[in-house]
Amino acid sequence: MTTSRNYTDLFLPISAWLTGFDTTELQATGMTATYYATITTKNTASCIDDFFAQAELVLQEGGGDEDKTNSLIASQLFPTSCYNNLAQNIITMWYTGEWAPDVNAAPSLAEAHNISPNAYVQGLMWTAASTHPPGAKQPGYGSWADPPIGPPVDAPLTSISNAR
Amino acid sequence: MSQHYQAPAPRRRQQLFRPDEPLHGCGLITSLDSLRSHLQTAIEIEHSTIPTYLTTLYTINPITNAFAYQTIQSVVMEEMLHMTLAANIMNAIGGHPAVNTNDFIPEYPTYLPHSDDAFLVPLQKFCKDTVDVFLKIEKPAHKFVPPEFNNYKTIGQFYKAVKYGLRYWDHVTPGGIFTGDKSLQVTCEQYYGGGGKLTAVYSLSDAVLAINEIVGQGEGMDGTIEDPDQVFFGEDVEYAHYYKFNEIRHERRYRPEDTANCPPTGRRVHVDWDAAINMHPNPKMKDYPVGSPLYNKTLDFNQSYMRLLTCIHDAFNGQPDLLMKAVPLMYDLKYKALDLLNLPLGNGEMAGPSFEYVAI
Amino acid sequence: MDHEYDVVLVGSGIAGAVIAKTLTQAGKRVLLLEAGLAAGMALSPEPSYANYQRYLETFYSKANKATNGPYPDLPDAQSPDVLQIEAKTPYDEGYLVQNGPLPFASDCLRSPGGTTLHWLGNVPRMLPNDFQMKTLYGQGVDWPISYDDLKPWYEMAEYEIGVSGDVAAQVGPDMDRSNYGDDYVFPMKEIPQSYQDQVWMKNTENLSVSLYGKDYNVTCVSMPQGRNSIPNPAYRKTGIFWNDETKRLELAGDEPGKYEVVGAIWDQNTGNRCEGNASCVPICPVQAKYNALKTLKKSDHSKLDIATQAVVSKLLVNDTTGKLDGIEYKVYANPASPIYTTKVAKGKIYVLAAGALENAKILLSSNAANSSDQVGRNLMDHLVMLMWGLFPEKVYPYRGPGCTTYLPTFRDGEFRKDFAAWISPLDNWGWSWPTFAPGSDVSNGLAAGKFGKALRDSLADTVTRQALLHFECEQAPDPNNRITVSPQYTDLLGNYRPVIQYDASDYMRKSFEAAKKVGDQIFAANGIEDFTDYNPSDADYVTWKNRGYTFWGAGHIVGTHRMGSSPADSVVKPTQQTWDHDNLYLVGCGNMPTLGTSNPTLTMTALTFMAAEAILKQLEA
Repeated sequence: MTTSRNYTDLFLPISAWLTGFDTTELQATGMTATYYATITTKNTASCIDDFFAQAELVLQEGGGDEDKTNSLIASQLFPTSCYNNLAQNIITMWYTGEWAPDVNAAPSLAEAHNISPNAYVQGLMWTAASTHPPGAKQPGYGSWADPPIGPPVDAPLTSISNAR
Repeated sequence: MSQHYQAPAPRRRQQLFRPDEPLHGCGLITSLDSLRSHLQTAIEIEHSTIPTYLTTLYTINPITNAFAYQTIQSVVMEEMLHMTLAANIMNAIGGHPAVNTNDFIPEYPTYLPHSDDAFLVPLQKFCKDTVDVFLKIEKPAHKFVPPEFNNYKTIGQFYKAVKYGLRYWDHVTPGGIFTGDKSLQVTCEQYYGGGGKLTAVYSLSDAVLAINEIVGQGEGMDGTIEDPDQVFFGEDVEYAHYYKFNEIRHERRYRPEDTANCPPTGRRVHVDWDAAINMHPNPKMKDYPVGSPLYNKTLDFNQSYMRLLTCIHDAFNGQPDLLMKAVPLMYDLKYKALDLLNLPLGNGEMAGPSFEYVAI
Repeated sequence: MDHEYDVVLVGSGIAGAVIAKTLTQAGKRVLLLEAGLAAGMALSPEPSYANYQRYLETFYSKANKATNGPYPDLPDAQSPDVLQIEAKTPYDEGYLVQNGPLPFASDCLRSPGGTTLHWLGNVPRMLPNDFQMKTLYGQGVDWPISYDDLKPWYEMAEYEIGVSGDVAAQVGPDMDRSNYGDDYVFPMKEIPQSYQDQVWMKNTENLSVSLYGKDYNVTCVSMPQGRNSIPNPAYRKTGIFWNDETKRLELAGDEPGKYEVVGAIWDQNTGNRCEGNASCVPICPVQAKYNALKTLKKSDHSKLDIATQAVVSKLLVNDTTGKLDGIEYKVYANPASPIYTTKVAKGKIYVLAAGALENAKILLSSNAANSSDQVGRNLMDHLVMLMWGLFPEKVYPYRGPGCTTYLPTFRDGEFRKDFAAWISPLDNWGWSWPTFAPGSDVSNGLAAGKFGKALRDSLADTVTRQALLHFECEQAPDPNNRITVSPQYTDLLGNYRPVIQYDASDYMRKSFEAAKKVGDQIFAANGIEDFTDYNPSDADYVTWKNRGYTFWGAGHIVGTHRMGSSPADSVVKPTQQTWDHDNLYLVGCGNMPTLGTSNPTLTMTALTFMAAEAILKQLEA
C-alpha cells in the first residue's frame, strides 16, 4: 500500500517546526530524501496520510505565527499517542540519525543501528551543541583549545590564564 | 590461512626538471621590486588553482571515488605548500606577501594570473572536462621554452624566470638579496600533512630548493625523459601533478615501464565519472536574491573564506604560528561548502561554493 | 609451516608488535599468530585504507558507541563487549562468564592491532612509590624492579608510541622533573589543553580540599598522550636498535630535530597531527592516535611470517624437559563457523602477547607456568567512579581528545595505607560515558514535551555545559579476583571462555567515599551543579557506609600472571621469562604486580622492550 500522495513538500516545513532548524539547514544535511523514505517505510500509509493531513492543517491554521503553530503542534501532532509517535520519531531522526526503536521490540544496545552511516554524521544534536559528531567533520589540530568557530560565543570566558 | 605481508618501501618523490641552464635571460627583470611583484604573482598563481581543485574535490564521495578524491586532495595539499614556499621566498628577499586584498581572489572562471590566457579555470563539478582543464593547468614545459614572466604558456616557464631572477639579483646586489627578517619564515613546525616538506628560505640555495620542490612536484616537468635508467613511475613514486591527473583521466595507474610522453598503461583504477554532485558551475552570490537562504549561506561561506585568507595573510606577515589556526578555518570552510552542495537550485543543479571576496 | 622459527609469538597488539618489530629488526625469524581477521592485518596503502574505512562505516552505523563497536565481532575469537555487562551475576550471555559477585566491567579487542585500536592513548608514567606498595603502605606486593630500573625502558616506550606532552608540567605527589631526568623531553610537544580544561583550571588550580581532617592542594597537569602533535625540536632520539656487541637494546640517536611523526598506516601524510575527531575511543579516523599496526609495519617483513585467523588453543609442554615443544592453534576460514584445522607452530622461544585475559586462559588451558597457582589471579582494573554536572557557563565539550588534563593530587600519599589512590582525568566528552549523551538529552527533552526551537535551545544550553570528572581508583591485587577455565564454558572452536570471579574490596569502596568527598569540593569550587546519579540498577553498584556508588571499567585489564622475585608467588621473572618454562615468555599487562594510577599501556610497553632484550640475549647465548 502506498500513501495517497507524495508529501515531500510538507515534510521539510513540518520538520523545521518540529526540530527548530530551518528548511535550508535541514536540506544542507543532504538527508531529506533518505529520511522521507524512512518514515514511509517505518509507518503505515494511512498513518502517513493522516499525519500529513493534520500537519497541513496545523501549518495553515498557524499561518506562520510561532506561538500559534507551536501550540497546535503541541496539542495535535506531538503527543506520543498521535500517529504512532511519528512527530517525535521525526525529531529523533533529524537529531540523532536513528529511527527510534519500538519500545516493545527494541534491539539490544549492540544491535541498534542508525538509519545510515551518513545519518549519524549529519545528526543535528551535534550542531545544536556547537560541536561535531565524534569521528566525523573533524575541526582540526588544536581547535578544541578555543571556543568553536561559528555561532557567536554568548558566554565568552574572560581573562583565561594558565594558573600554573 | 597464512598471510605474508611485505612492508611497502618509503615513497620517493618525483623530482623531474632539466639541469639548470647557465645564467642568461635575466634581462627580463628590471629591478628587485619587479622580482618581488613576480613572487606575489607566484603566490597568486598557486592560490588561484586551490578553489578550483577544492570545489571539484567536494563534489565527489571520498569512499566511492576514493582514487580521484585522494589524488585531487594530495594535489591541493601540494598547492598549499607551494603557496607557502612562495611566501617564504618573498619574505626572504624583504617583500610582503599579500593574500587578503580584494584583487587577490580571481573571478571564476579565470585565466591563470599573468598567463597567456589560453584557457579558463572554472569552479565546477568533477567530470572529464574538468580533469582536462586540470591537465592544462599542470601541463609540463616543452623542452626548449624560454623563461617567461608574463604571458607564459606553462607555470614551469614562469618559475624558470623567477629562479633566474633570484640568481641574477642575488649575484649583482652587494650583500645579496636574502636579507629578510628570518622570524617571518613559516617552518615545518607550522606546516604538516603532506605535499612534501616545507623548507624555510634563508639563502639563494634554499630558494632554489623551494622552487625545485614546486616545479618538480607540479607544473614544470619536461615532456621528455633524458635519463633512460631513471624510474619515473611506480607505486613508490609521488608523481608530478600532471601525471596524477592523467591517471584519473585514463582510469589507469602508470607502470615503472611507462614514459612521460605516453598515457598510463598500468592497472585500471575505479573512477565513477557520474557520481559527482551536479553543482551549478561558477556560482555567484549575485545569482541569488539578497537575503535569501542561498544568498546567506553563500555569503557565510565567503566570510569564512575571507577569515581563512586573513589568517594566512597574518601568518605570512609576522605571525607564522597563526598557520596552525588556519587549519580549523579550512575545515570549517569545507563543511560549509558541503552544506551548499546539498542545496538544490530547483533546476536539477545544486548550489556550491563561490569563493568571492567579501568584506569582513 | 613445518620449519622452526626463532620465536613463535601470539598476538599482534602493542606487546606483540613491539616483540615482532624488535626481534625481526635484530635479524630473528618470527612467526606471529593472530586470532583476528586477515583483512585487519593489511599494512599496505590500499587494503589497509579500505579495511579501516569499513571500521569507520561500522562505527557510524551503530547507534550505541561502544569501545569494540567498529570492529568485527568474531564468534571464533570473541571479545568481551561492555554493552553486555549487566547488574547481575552469575551470567554467561556474552564472551565472559561472570560469576561475580560483581561483573568485571572492562573489555579488550582480539584483532590485528589489539586493543590499541580503541584505546584512549593516555600515557602517564607510574610513580616511583607505585613499585613499593607493600613496603610503603602495607598493600598488595612490591614489584621486583624499581622505577629507576624501568626508566630507560619508559624512554623507549615513549619513542615507540610517539608521546606528545610537556615533561616540565608533570609535577605532583611523588612526581617531578627528577622522575624524567634533567634534559628529557617527549618526542612531540604537548597536545593543547581544551577550552573546557582552562575553565576547570581557573577554578581548580591550587584549590585546597579537605579529606578526613587533612588538607590537599589540587593541581591540574597536561596529560601525556600517544597521539601526534608538533615534533619537539629538542628531542634527540632516532630509533631503537639491538647492539650486537654490547648485547643491549638501545634507544639510539643524539641529534635534535630529527623526530619523524608516524602517520596512518595507509598514508604517511595522514594523521600527522591530532585533528580533533573526538572519537579516540573507539576509533581515530586519521590514525593520529598510535596503534600497534604502526609498530608492526616497521618490522623487518623478510623475517616475519604472520598467520591470521589463527587461534591458539594449547601450549605443548614437555613434561620431561619442562620446555614447550610447540603451540597448537586452530585456523578458521569463516569466523562464524565451527570448522577449523589444527596446526602446531614450533620455535626456539615462545612468547604470549595475547592480553591479560587470553594469556591467562591459554596458560590455564595448558596447565602451564602455574606452579605458583598465581595464573589467572590478581585480576585488576581501574575502578572508575564518575561525577557529572553542569557548569554555570558554556565550556563546549565533545571536542578534542578524550582527556587533555588530569589532577595528580591523589595519586600518592599516606592515605594509600587506608584506601586506594586515584588519578582524576578531566573528561572532554560531556556526559557521553555515563548517560549516552547527547542522545539522552534529545530523548529527555522530548519526554519533557520539548520540540522545535525550545528543544534546540535546551540542547544548546545544557549539552555545552556538561562536565565529567573521573576518579580512576587503583585496584589492589586480590587472589580471589581471578580468571579460571571450565570445560562447561567453551566457544565455537571449542576453546575455553574466561570464567571470572570479581569483587570490589573495602579498600576500593572507601576510596569511592573519599573521591566523592573530594569531587563535591571540586564541583563546588567550579560552580558545577551535580547531576551524578548512582543507581542500584547500574552494573557495578556498590555500597559503603550505607551510601551507594557506581564504578565503571577502565579497560585496564592487568595482573593475571604477575612478575615477582620468587617462583612461589609469581608467574614470571623480572625478565618476563616464566619461572616454569625457560623457553616461554609472557608479555603484556598481565605481568604487572600492581597497577598504580597510570593507564597501564605505557608501563607495559616499557616492560615489553625489557622482555625483548631478554629474549634476544637468550637467543644469542
